[in-house]
Amino acid sequence: MINLIRAEWRKVITVKLGWGMLLGALALAALGVVAQIASNGNGANGNFLPPLSAAETQRSIAASSGSAYLFSVVVGIILITTEFRHFTSRPTFLIEPRRGLVVVAKLLVAALVGIIYGVACAALTAAIMAIWFAALGVNIGWVSNGILLSMLGDTAVIAIFAVVGIGVGVLVRNQIAAIIGTLVYLFVLEPLTDIIPLVQKAYPYLPGAAAAAVTGANRGSLAHLNAVQGGLVLLGYGLLFAVGGWLFTIRRDIP
Amino acid sequence: MSPEATALEGRIVANDLTKVFGEVKAVDGLSFSVEPGSVTGFLGPNGAGKTTTLRMILGLATPTSGTGTISGLTYAHLPHPGRTVGAVLEATSFHPGRSARNHLRVFCAAAGLPDKRADEVLEWVGLTQAARYSVRGFSLGMRQRLGLATALLGNPRVLLLDEPANGLDPEGIAWLRGLLRHFADVDGRTVLISSHVLSEVEQTVDRVVIIARGRLLYEGRLADLEGANGGVVVRTPSPEQLSGALAPLNVKVTPRADGSLGVVGATPEAVGHAAWAAHVELHELRAGSSSLEETFLRLTAEPSAPTEPGA
Ligand SMILES: Nc1ncnc2c1ncn2[C@@H]1O[C@H](COP(=O)(O)OP(=O)(O)OP(=O)(O)O)[C@@H](O)[C@H]1O
Ligand SMILES: [Mg+2]
Repeated sequence: MINLIRAEWRKVITVKLGWGMLLGALALAALGVVAQIASNGNGANGNFLPPLSAAETQRSIAASSGSAYLFSVVVGIILITTEFRHFTSRPTFLIEPRRGLVVVAKLLVAALVGIIYGVACAALTAAIMAIWFAALGVNIGWVSNGILLSMLGDTAVIAIFAVVGIGVGVLVRNQIAAIIGTLVYLFVLEPLTDIIPLVQKAYPYLPGAAAAAVTGANRGSLAHLNAVQGGLVLLGYGLLFAVGGWLFTIRRDIP
Repeated sequence: MSPEATALEGRIVANDLTKVFGEVKAVDGLSFSVEPGSVTGFLGPNGAGKTTTLRMILGLATPTSGTGTISGLTYAHLPHPGRTVGAVLEATSFHPGRSARNHLRVFCAAAGLPDKRADEVLEWVGLTQAARYSVRGFSLGMRQRLGLATALLGNPRVLLLDEPANGLDPEGIAWLRGLLRHFADVDGRTVLISSHVLSEVEQTVDRVVIIARGRLLYEGRLADLEGANGGVVVRTPSPEQLSGALAPLNVKVTPRADGSLGVVGATPEAVGHAAWAAHVELHELRAGSSSLEETFLRLTAEPSAPTEPGA
């Protein structure tokens, strides 16, 4: 198993994709922090957030690091679908015919990649905040305002989304279909669920809402899962997809 | 032969392998064995089912029925497949953005091999110079070599190569021939190479398995294949007249790809005499082992297809 994990890790670090996506995630996080601090108090777009010293504002700014989940889910999808796209699935499964083990190694490596993304984005977010707030002479309540805890939650979500990405990719081998499908689901379909009365009750258990429960982002009116429950539900989706993929695609003929 | 002998170390056995894709029976009750210490050619025209058969033996495709085994075990049950079996399938299997060396190091890690093995096999296949470049820029021949390098990583005792000569230059083909012969003759390894042209592997293999439409047509020593030691190649501006002149000799005349005729069943002397007697002009007359190719073509021809297209 350790051999497979090392192999999967090498697959990640020897192509540009993982690094490029990390840069993208860092850029998005930095943009979120800078935009929120710079616009604070100037009332742009009629957006009067409480002042920078408020715990709520500080948490909201710190949550910028959480947007990296978008990148981690896509990286997860690509890590697995690229095997089928470029037929590296062949040498991979020739060396380890126990295909389930390969998928498990990929899930673990994806989680590790997600943790790295999360920690890197959190560190960048924290660094920008620390320097800027110090320059403005505002105190940050890292612990008292729950910032570190929310960053921990964000990192967990980013890591779990990478696992979900693997699950989706195992299930839907087509790279483009898997990526587009996932993004459409997260941005269009799931938010719709929240406003359709019939399925509204299920909303808190959907992946996006479960993630929101962990990060504390206030999305659905019914988001009543707590952070740990949300994390477990989200992880459950990742594993469910992976098992489904193992049952329906991975066990079949390898292209 | 004792039952244990069928599970000989390094022997590849296809046992009544069948693979159906929807309506297509790609492989149809195929049985053969490939012995250690030999280079066996796996031959058949395009679409004969060679790649599908190899994929089933390698555990990448599940047979509809039948089994494929290596050393008596199905691929999934081999203890260290990465270190006992090396294989290349026809299409290249590389991430275009990864360097050749990193590609190999990924699989070194997966198979639990030391990283220096990657550099060794790169040197072996002559890719040391290109080791750090992305595979994206590799030519077909370079990709073939990298595929071979991947197959050789684990120093396997069984090699299955799908169309390995594809894209190799003549020097590369000669080198591959030497390498495979060495593996079989000196090391006693099992080597199975597929091809859709007999002439490509004729000088490399000692045994052949010939299939068409998923069925076995011939299995055995190349030397025992009808036409292996005979046949005449003749070139003439009037092929129809010559065919007529040869008819009484009860020979088989087949048009060859280059416009000449292949004749099986007569000596060059007999063909030359018949042509002279019928006043047919000849531009070339020689004994050719190329009749082997004709035997191959005849064996693998569609049963319904006309034997002499355009005739
Ligand atoms: N995944 C698949 N789905 C459907 N049909 C397939 C599949 N793979 C192969 N076939 C069909 O099975 C038959 C055998 O194909 P195969 O690739 O094994 O032939 P081959 O002998 O390797 O030919 P070539 O010399 O062209 O490589 C063909 O008719 C092909 O169209
Ligand atoms: Mg083929």
